[in-house]
Amino acid sequence: MVERISFYDQISKNKRNSILLFGIVGALLIALIYSIAKAFSGLDSFIILIFAIIITTIYSLISYYSSDSIALMSVGAVKANPTLYRQYYSIVEGLTLASGLPMPQLYIMNNPQINAFATGRDPKHAVICVTTGALEKLNKQELEGVLAHEMSHIANYDIRFMTLTAILVGMISIVAQIFLRSLWFRNNDSDNNKAGAIFLIIGIILAVLAPIVTSLVQLAISRKREYTADATAVKFTRSPTGLINALTKIKSNSEMKVSGSVAPLFLAKPNKAAELFSTHPDINTRIEVLRKM
Amino acid sequence: MVIWWYVVGGVVIIAGIFLMYYNRFVSLINQIENSLAQIDVQLKRRADLIPNLMESVKGYMKHEKSIVTEVTNARKLLVGAKGLNNRVKANEKLEGALGRLFAIAENYPNLKANETFVQLQQELSATEDKVAYSRQYYNDGIMSYNMSRRTIPGKWFASMYGFGEQKYLEISESERKTPKVKFD
Repeated sequence: MVERISFYDQISKNKRNSILLFGIVGALLIALIYSIAKAFSGLDSFIILIFAIIITTIYSLISYYSSDSIALMSVGAVKANPTLYRQYYSIVEGLTLASGLPMPQLYIMNNPQINAFATGRDPKHAVICVTTGALEKLNKQELEGVLAHEMSHIANYDIRFMTLTAILVGMISIVAQIFLRSLWFRNNDSDNNKAGAIFLIIGIILAVLAPIVTSLVQLAISRKREYTADATAVKFTRSPTGLINALTKIKSNSEMKVSGSVAPLFLAKPNKAAELFSTHPDINTRIEVLRKM
Repeated sequence: MVIWWYVVGGVVIIAGIFLMYYNRFVSLINQIENSLAQIDVQLKRRADLIPNLMESVKGYMKHEKSIVTEVTNARKLLVGAKGLNNRVKANEKLEGALGRLFAIAENYPNLKANETFVQLQQELSATEDKVAYSRQYYNDGIMSYNMSRRTIPGKWFASMYGFGEQKYLEISESERKTPKVKFD
């Protein structure tokens, strides 16, 4: 007997795990900042941190607010005509009723592969884009599963969550970079005490490892949110069949050339990568999990 | 003197919690009422499509008087029903009648080729999905509300503020059965 799992449990488990992972990133950031503060004299570390925070915040805010237009432009998406794409609009309308979300803007991108993505900083400014391949090759139930998955990303505020994660990871990267580079310019008077030296070593270790570790954690978070989106899609449609069949069709049919920053937004990973370094879980595992619901 | 700050702080926090739970219940009730209105919107769309459907069918199914009457009556029942449960029951009757109508229409190839008829059939099918979705969302809202009401500490606040238990929308027996088709 296959053990059945409820999509509610699946949703809360994955959300919880993604928040825990997020906590790890936050904790590493604090640890890095703390060791630098201890290793350097007050003013130097202060300057590093302020600089890092300013850069990261500006960069992140810009990308957050224009995430939708950037993503759409980079793949050459056009707004979907409501009369030509009736079924597309009708399905999403049904999903807005099931989810209580406002109607997102609907876009099309010209590509024979089956794929889709959602973007936008909150449900009011949400955008969904599907490939022409998806509209042609999927039947109504499968298309509904795919669109439900995209609506789930919007409903779970995944764009915002992943952006926050990216901000923290970026901050760690910058702080580590500045710290390591500034080691050349330190004056040697300030580390006459042992404590300073120890924190210096810890700081260096963290500065080298943290960016790598947090990038991996960021990818793990992305994978957890994908599972959450799959489960939430089932919550909206109350049947995993559509999404299962769509993913099965996608299995060998989703490779596309897209830039690295847009890749995580897609339904199925557009670029090949090993599991650990991948933004999306393995499709076969996703199908297996869905079958249990 | 410092102790007073702690007391004031404590009172503010506790008052905040009372306020938070009250607002939470109000917000959940609002969501339920809104989703109820949504169901009505979809039901009205369905009712509005029927007259056009009957027009397109009229010429072809002259001898199927009983099913035509059945659908028209079911629509009247839906439009006139008072209260959500009655309206949903009326819609279920209408869905059953429409199912039989479309099954009978299979015998009329000219009708099946009629573009207006096909489009209306698709739209009715789409609104059927939408009624289902809005009912689902309504029930989800009720579930969240009842859950807040039954867990601690929501339990105490709910009885204090007088927020009663809400009922789910039930499926009637007739909807669970598939439509039977009689071939005359």
